[in-house]
Amino acid sequence: MRTFPLHAVLSWGALLSLGVYAARLGFLPQAWVVVGLGLYALLVLWGVRFGWRHVLLALGLVAYWFPPAAFLVPLLFALFFGRGLSEKEQGALYGWALVWPALALLLIWHVFPTFYAFYLSLFERVNFLRPAAFSGLENYRILLQDPLFWRALGNTFWYVVFTVPVGLLLATVVAILLNTQVAFLGLYRTLYFLPYITALTAAAAVWRWIYHPEFGFLNWLLRTPGLDWLNTPKGVFALLLEPLGVQVQGFWAGPSLAFVAIMVMSVWHFLGYQVVILLAGLQAIPKEYYEAAELDGASFWQKHRLITWPLLSPTTFFLFTLGLIGAFQVFTQVYVLTPTGGVLQDTLTLAFYLYNKGFRDSDFSYASAIAMVTFLLILGLTLIQRRILERRVNYEI
Amino acid sequence: MRFKPTSLLVHLVLLGGGLIMAFPFYWMLATSLKSPQEALQAKPIWVPERMKPSNWLKAARLGDSPLWGGLAPGRSVELVFPGEKGRPPKAFIPRAPGAFFDPRADGTRVEVGYGEGAWRVRLTNTTGEAFRFLPLVVLWPKEAPLNPPLPPDAIRSQGEDWRLEWVNAVPGALGYLFHNYLEAWYAAPWGRYFFNSFFTALTQVAVGLLLAALAAFALARIPFPGKEAVFVLILATMMVPGEVLLIPNYVLLARLGWLDTYFALIVPWLASVFGIFLLRQFYLSLPQDLFDAARIDGAGYLTQLFRIALPLSLPGLVSYGIFTFLGAYNALLWPLIVTQSPEMRTVQLGLQAFVSEAGSDYGALMAASTFVILPVILGYFFAQRQFIQGIARSGLK
Repeated sequence: MRTFPLHAVLSWGALLSLGVYAARLGFLPQAWVVVGLGLYALLVLWGVRFGWRHVLLALGLVAYWFPPAAFLVPLLFALFFGRGLSEKEQGALYGWALVWPALALLLIWHVFPTFYAFYLSLFERVNFLRPAAFSGLENYRILLQDPLFWRALGNTFWYVVFTVPVGLLLATVVAILLNTQVAFLGLYRTLYFLPYITALTAAAAVWRWIYHPEFGFLNWLLRTPGLDWLNTPKGVFALLLEPLGVQVQGFWAGPSLAFVAIMVMSVWHFLGYQVVILLAGLQAIPKEYYEAAELDGASFWQKHRLITWPLLSPTTFFLFTLGLIGAFQVFTQVYVLTPTGGVLQDTLTLAFYLYNKGFRDSDFSYASAIAMVTFLLILGLTLIQRRILERRVNYEI
Repeated sequence: MRFKPTSLLVHLVLLGGGLIMAFPFYWMLATSLKSPQEALQAKPIWVPERMKPSNWLKAARLGDSPLWGGLAPGRSVELVFPGEKGRPPKAFIPRAPGAFFDPRADGTRVEVGYGEGAWRVRLTNTTGEAFRFLPLVVLWPKEAPLNPPLPPDAIRSQGEDWRLEWVNAVPGALGYLFHNYLEAWYAAPWGRYFFNSFFTALTQVAVGLLLAALAAFALARIPFPGKEAVFVLILATMMVPGEVLLIPNYVLLARLGWLDTYFALIVPWLASVFGIFLLRQFYLSLPQDLFDAARIDGAGYLTQLFRIALPLSLPGLVSYGIFTFLGAYNALLWPLIVTQSPEMRTVQLGLQAFVSEAGSDYGALMAASTFVILPVILGYFFAQRQFIQGIARSGLK
């Protein structure tokens, strides 16, 4: 005989309490709640066939006034009458009861907002001060013609092109050197790792001081007094090519000097993380491979090109993916080094533009449109990357 | 161990890189101990006066307490300037700019006299309140050799005289060394900021850990219908970048009336996909026999979780704790969005506000940055292994 699916009541109850809260906040029409309560009542009625005590579950219907009841009543019911349940049923009950707290929070703060962001992006200038008009995909049309959006995208592109390879290369070199049974490993690791656990806010305060045009350390070191690193909107390629008499404009002028300064700090900040991850990856490679290669007379380069590189590729790929995704979310570095987005908005990034639009100009719908486009871009890039790059990744050791 | 020339090269490369990585930290520390005049030098000062132990001894003699200095009512302090008897120096307490009444300038008796081969400047507190600090200006004739009792914080030329300035003539050793730290600490309600940051971060760690442990245990060890679906849903939320959630979560918090409260800082980050994955991985790696044995002894799922799985997954818990704490403590964007009032600021926001308000007082700014990163750095030195392994673990799939 089939038994009563108490775990289904529990899960439906959890959803129901979330639904009641949503309705109270105005995210869900009241009618849905009534339908939900009705379904819950039907489930309870069905339960009566398995024993009269299931009537007690009907107490969950007070969820209309006290939302958590829909989840708590089945839970308490299971605690009181769960002794006689079979192993399988107990598993189902416990499984759902343990998963729901975390799941509910994820639904509220991760899953629902993803859809709500898309919903918001379909309106014209949502700022909750006045009713917003539905405008379809108008925000996206404007966004695609928005020069600032393209500038932010261009900066993101340069950020990936500059920081990811440089960071990975430096980190790989450091990790390989650290892996040669070097003395003082702990000291070196600490030196490289400390920047990563340092708050970017504090780090940026120091870097601003290092980049200071008059009293900055960097200008003293490079003998370039007065060079205002963080307020120079000129592209670095344009700056480098200028003495040669070559003029470059627009995108090809490259990231502004200010943005390059930000990138340098970012590489400094994240290097330690990459070193630690790569070192863990290196230590996972069996020593026998190197010993065998040494017996065959392989040189230092051959060993690293033919053993380290392919066997480390999953780690490198992971860090590359992380760097790519991270580039779309660069905010703190930029905000603390150039709080206004730089001269002529030359250090604008996607996350910073989103922040400006949403919380400075209070245009939530346009900001949501930026968020959705970023989401799609990341999704697309990750898929492409998986298709093209991951084929070259060697997962077997 | 036999000496290898390559290992020397390895050490040189690692040390060079490490010094570059560590330089910003040294520069922050050095600047935090500089007087404004030392900080604003085009040619950098590597070791500021306040870093030299011989000056600490000099400072310990000035002020009531050798450690913290100060000048209690009725007490006096004597500054001795060895030199020839000639044109007398002048000494006075500078008035606070714009102050109608300045107890320090008005209530301190300044006497300059010559005796025993030295000019003596005697400062006496004639007010009823104790001074924590007492600024002093001495105009010293240019023709006489200068040998001050404590290196002045600024030397300027003023006509026939050198204008020697001290920010505090009664510092004591620690008051002298940590002058900028004290200044920065009293300039903003840092105690409140630190409480906010720690409260937020620790609550996130504690509650997040519990929720993640429950869900991870269910996903790893309990067979229940719908498990696959839940797992896929959790996986899918990993695909959504954090930017997408900013706007809708802000709206959600606004509707809940939670903006500018601890709820806004804590609740959205309680359920962590990373934590669930990490702990699930740990629970999966534990041998099934362990759980079978417990089952035979009559342990329920909860007992299995809290008595077996949780203690055995301690490294995973520590790893998650460190990661979450770092993320919460170092976060800037989220607190920036959801809080407005100064009472709800976290340390990072406080530092950010301090950076924009402190202007060119780089000593105080670097001091504030130093004590903001201090808790994390101290934590790292106490639990180095856990930090490194915790971070390394985030790269393992």
